[in-house]
Amino acid sequence: MSNYYNMPKLPTENSPKVEIFVDDKAVMVPGDTNLLEALKAVGIETPHVCYHPYLPVSGNCRQCLVEQEGPRGRMLVIACYTPVSPSMKIYTPASSERVKNARKATQEFMLVNHPLDCPICDKAGECTLQENYMEAGQNESRMRPEYGKNYHGNPAHQFIDSKGQVRGGKHVDIGPRIVLDEERCVQCDRCVRFMRSIAGDEQLQLASRADHTYITTFPGEKLDHEYDLCVTDICPTGAMTAKHFRFQKRVWLLSRTPSISMDDSLGANIWIDHAEGKVWRLMPRCNPEVNRSWLSNTSRLAYQNFQKNRLPAGDIDSLKSVLAKEGKVALVAGGSCTIEDLTALKLLAEKLGERAEIFTGSFAPVLPADGIAKSGDPVANRAGMKLLGLPTGNLEELLKRAGEFSILLSVHCDLFENAEAAKTLETIPEKIALSAFDDATAKAATIPFGVNHWSEVKGTMVNCNGMLQKLSAAPTSPDSNLRPAFSVLAELAGISLSCACEAFAMAGKNAEVLSGYTYETIRSTGVMLDGVQL
Amino acid sequence: MNHKQGAIHFVANNNLKFEDGPKPLFVRPSSAAPVQKKNEEQKQPSREEVRALLDVPEIKDRCADLLSRYPEPQGALLEVLWLVQGVLGWVPTEGIRWAAEVCSCAPAHALGVATFYTMYNHAPKGKFLLQFCRNISCAIKGAQPLIKYIENKLGIKSGETTPDGLFTILQVECLGSCGNGPMMLVNDDFATDVVDGQLKMKRGTTLTEESIDRIVEWCKAHANNVPKRDVLGGIVKGHMGHPGVPGAIAKPQVADYAPPSPVLNVKAEADETGASLTWKGAPEFTKLVVEKKNGSNWEVVGEPSVKDKCFVDAAGKVGDTYRMIATSGERVAKPSLEAVATQKPVPEEKAV
Amino acid sequence: MAECVKVCTENFGKGAQDIEVYKKLGGYENISERLFNMSQFEVIDHVQRSNLRGRGGAGFPTGMKWSFVPRNSGKPVYIVVNADEGEGGTFKDHYLMMEDPHRLIEGLIIAGWALGSRSAYIYVRGEFLPCIESLNKALNQAYAAGYLGENICGTKFSFDIFVHRGAGAYICGEETALINSLEGQKGQPRLKPPFPAVSGAWKSPTCVNNVETIMALPWIFKHEPEEYAKLGTPRAGGTKVFCISGDVKNPGVYEAPLGTPMMTMINDYAGGVVGGNLKAVLPGGSSCAPLDAGECAVATMDYECLASMKTMFGSGAMIVINDTHNMAELLNVLGNFYSHESCGQCTPCREGTGLIHRILNQIVEGKGHDGDVEFMQSLSNGFGGVTICPLSVSLGGPVSSYTTKFRSDFDELIAKNPDRAKPRVQETSRPGIFW
Repeated sequence: MSNYYNMPKLPTENSPKVEIFVDDKAVMVPGDTNLLEALKAVGIETPHVCYHPYLPVSGNCRQCLVEQEGPRGRMLVIACYTPVSPSMKIYTPASSERVKNARKATQEFMLVNHPLDCPICDKAGECTLQENYMEAGQNESRMRPEYGKNYHGNPAHQFIDSKGQVRGGKHVDIGPRIVLDEERCVQCDRCVRFMRSIAGDEQLQLASRADHTYITTFPGEKLDHEYDLCVTDICPTGAMTAKHFRFQKRVWLLSRTPSISMDDSLGANIWIDHAEGKVWRLMPRCNPEVNRSWLSNTSRLAYQNFQKNRLPAGDIDSLKSVLAKEGKVALVAGGSCTIEDLTALKLLAEKLGERAEIFTGSFAPVLPADGIAKSGDPVANRAGMKLLGLPTGNLEELLKRAGEFSILLSVHCDLFENAEAAKTLETIPEKIALSAFDDATAKAATIPFGVNHWSEVKGTMVNCNGMLQKLSAAPTSPDSNLRPAFSVLAELAGISLSCACEAFAMAGKNAEVLSGYTYETIRSTGVMLDGVQL
Repeated sequence: MNHKQGAIHFVANNNLKFEDGPKPLFVRPSSAAPVQKKNEEQKQPSREEVRALLDVPEIKDRCADLLSRYPEPQGALLEVLWLVQGVLGWVPTEGIRWAAEVCSCAPAHALGVATFYTMYNHAPKGKFLLQFCRNISCAIKGAQPLIKYIENKLGIKSGETTPDGLFTILQVECLGSCGNGPMMLVNDDFATDVVDGQLKMKRGTTLTEESIDRIVEWCKAHANNVPKRDVLGGIVKGHMGHPGVPGAIAKPQVADYAPPSPVLNVKAEADETGASLTWKGAPEFTKLVVEKKNGSNWEVVGEPSVKDKCFVDAAGKVGDTYRMIATSGERVAKPSLEAVATQKPVPEEKAV
Repeated sequence: MAECVKVCTENFGKGAQDIEVYKKLGGYENISERLFNMSQFEVIDHVQRSNLRGRGGAGFPTGMKWSFVPRNSGKPVYIVVNADEGEGGTFKDHYLMMEDPHRLIEGLIIAGWALGSRSAYIYVRGEFLPCIESLNKALNQAYAAGYLGENICGTKFSFDIFVHRGAGAYICGEETALINSLEGQKGQPRLKPPFPAVSGAWKSPTCVNNVETIMALPWIFKHEPEEYAKLGTPRAGGTKVFCISGDVKNPGVYEAPLGTPMMTMINDYAGGVVGGNLKAVLPGGSSCAPLDAGECAVATMDYECLASMKTMFGSGAMIVINDTHNMAELLNVLGNFYSHESCGQCTPCREGTGLIHRILNQIVEGKGHDGDVEFMQSLSNGFGGVTICPLSVSLGGPVSSYTTKFRSDFDELIAKNPDRAKPRVQETSRPGIFW
């Protein structure tokens, strides 16, 4: 609540370095940020609950206490709200017993009215309270059962359990995508700040006060927003859990693969959380210059269809024989084609010579950017197409001149979803669809050919801001015979590419700006391409 | 229930497999589940019922007046919620939504505010809300026995309303009349007794069992004509509102309403190195001029920077008269009081 | 008892609620050429010389506070009067506003002139509806007489005063919580810096002053500031309105110079202790540490002496307790109060005050255990300096001091529990191999 307009200043590469003294040792830290971030930059983790780098500082959890030498002696301050100043003296639990005890005390207070149900809590394993408890907790409880617990909860949901204890609302249906457990809420206010400051729609609020505080929407209204699942990410406890992931998988059984969401041209950075060859959820991966910590529901829930309705791998010889026929060839690349796919497509066009023409784009409308994690453009790699000298979005022309072509080869592009386009393109005699899904185009195709989905391939893309980002392959391909689209296209072009890196190296020949990079030199948060006109 | 045999034997081997992939498991308990709710649900009036009472010209005028007082409409939220409580006697959900609309803020925000403050009632109260202070000064003077007494007398517990809807008893924190403790509020009136048919809190009187009896009798006698008070203590006429707010006629404060600031506290002390001047300056000064009296004329002797703390006139000696003139922007202030230079005391040698 | 100069209470009982009576008593004399010829800086200097310190509890020098307010930042300056008097034992502002509302208005005009404020707000707690009525009546009269509004008394100065009714939250007495409440938010204290003097209400410079502080201004301007300074101690000028409540013969509001001995206040002003012998005095409201009878005999009522005795002067609200009371029961009352009034922001305060109250409840009900007192002391140590505002310390302080000074009261109640030595049971630990 307090100072809700104070966004934290985060360190950047260009932050000036200043010298401060941590536990009487001199260290160089970024000078234009808060203490918590500065300590993190030199490898000292400070436990915290309410602080989030992309939310206004609220300073209410009081967990990140450190001691600062000041004019009135050593004072406890919260690291998240204390700006770094040159030659300040800081004491962490490593040297200060007082800080250690203060953090311990805060941790104890945090758990006074928090239920002890970690074994059945879905957040267990990625719960901030658990982490803080291991870091700064009281090893032995000092409570007596006689003191009782005062569970937080909406008076309208409170009930009396079989032991006669008043309990807060469990599994409250707070919105279409989220379930709330009122007892587990520690009133850190993160979701309230997210909805107010980031989503711009104050649907959540902490009601009442003191230890009766509970989190709620307006009575009768539901938490419903394009970004509402972000509150389940930022919730430090198991209070807000996503219905789609609730009780599906213990988080410590999941492996994570860093990748890029290919359904929007901002290219939101994601983690693909998978286990046993299955994608269980997508999580936002922090990238300060792209999507920060946020991910839209559309991008996040897209995983539910990744492994459904898949197209089996086809016979490549039949593709070759079709392409060997006479007549003009329309090569169509969809929005989720990686740079590698586009390069291979270009190679194929070169091989086919004058009778091939490349079209790109999507029939889905371009929406305005929402300023959070979506640019609104469904053609994710539009900038990459431009970089490789391909047309960017000329499907209208393809429709106009459909009669000229006798072969249509579409890559990751659901042309037949659009009824009007389907009607026009039906007239082309040979239709090849390289697609991950058995979608309308694959159904209409004379030769449907299954390839890997973007979540299963290694590759690169350039987002709408000119950021070159890399995708990694999650081992979740439903069929080991499936190959990435670039590999199929390269084979059709008569070139053998053993891995994506070779395709990327080929791309460097087409676009000078890419030639300086390899997969190793593209950082996980991407690199900004200099001098690219978009 | 479909029990999976042998699913968990050892923690180390605890690899649960879901054959059929992710599927939402969320099932709400049926309403027939044997859960004992702690609180009864408060029946809320409908949107139309609430709006019919609130969307009246009189309330609209009050709201316009309130909104004109604050630079942002949200500032009036507490007062608008008071108006709702004044009309309805309590603050139902739809009343909160109405207040949020008036103050252009999110309904959830207004809900947070309405539940944070304890004086907004979220359920209808009796005609007479008897609030007893239980804080320390009243507790020392025996508030609890009196609260027990009234609870027994009316046959209800604190927080409850009598079946006839006449009385609600509440225990509240300090009511700011500790000198009369124990004391109570009857609706909005401080009361320790009934004097001449009026509720009164006279200096030196405190609540007793007898005076509680009298107050209860007074309330019963006034059951059909409960004294009506304006929730915001009446209307103030003549104010201009906040500058720049729709509905307000006020203009911003002019910058030069007050005379420009002169230099204050000018002191001059002289020794063999000259006369040194000290003064107290305002932060808005842009220029300072030091003048020295020469006969009946004033001569400029220097222009110290506005950040300086001290100015030395090397030619100055004991008995010279100085004054300083400050400029703030375009305005020149009146000269400071004249200061006659005195002998600077010799700094005492520090004892070793 | 020497007759003392009355600064704030001189019009008590004279019917000064009416503007004509107030003017006859010398009111609004300051709103004249004398003030209009002074620059803002001179007025602030005047207040600084008077050595007036804030009367709300913290005792910050008022002139210095005003000098921090940027006067030419292009943003409006707000003056907010803190009349959210809610601390147990404090009731001076209630009487001051009821008896002499015009003095507050006059003081506010002077403050407004000094700071260049256009709008001032009087934040009155919701329970004080009679005070709000009294203030609104006075405001109507002042507007009609031309002391408020556009171009006051023919000058270029314009000034409006609005009364804001709070709705029941003790924490709104904290200045940043009060500002949040004024902005129509929950009354939760803000992180500092920025301090309100620089960025307060609506991100503009804001000066929050207590009622009594503002009401001292007309006297200071009518007389000389040095004269006011002389009334008090070297470090704090003027007189103070004391509230005496509890076990005394004549509880009430008394104005006395700073530095008056505590026993003089109790015996001469308030008529002495009744119902038993003196056991303890809370010298500055419910949140300060108590002084036992021996300490009371030597204490004087001023900021320095009480600070040296490890308690505080606060708002000058003396609560006198006789020896028929058990201090544990009184601490339970405070536990109830502070756990009820915590704003719910900082974790230690939100959860800790409630826990301490539950433990105290156990003790008072005769179900206390050995070690409960030590546990409470340890919990209250966890409050020290870790929260945004000092509300948690307002309970933590009394817990430490009551349990050290009056330990026998607690032991007496714990002794009522036959099972008091029962060891703590860890209900949550289960035998077995799982988890």
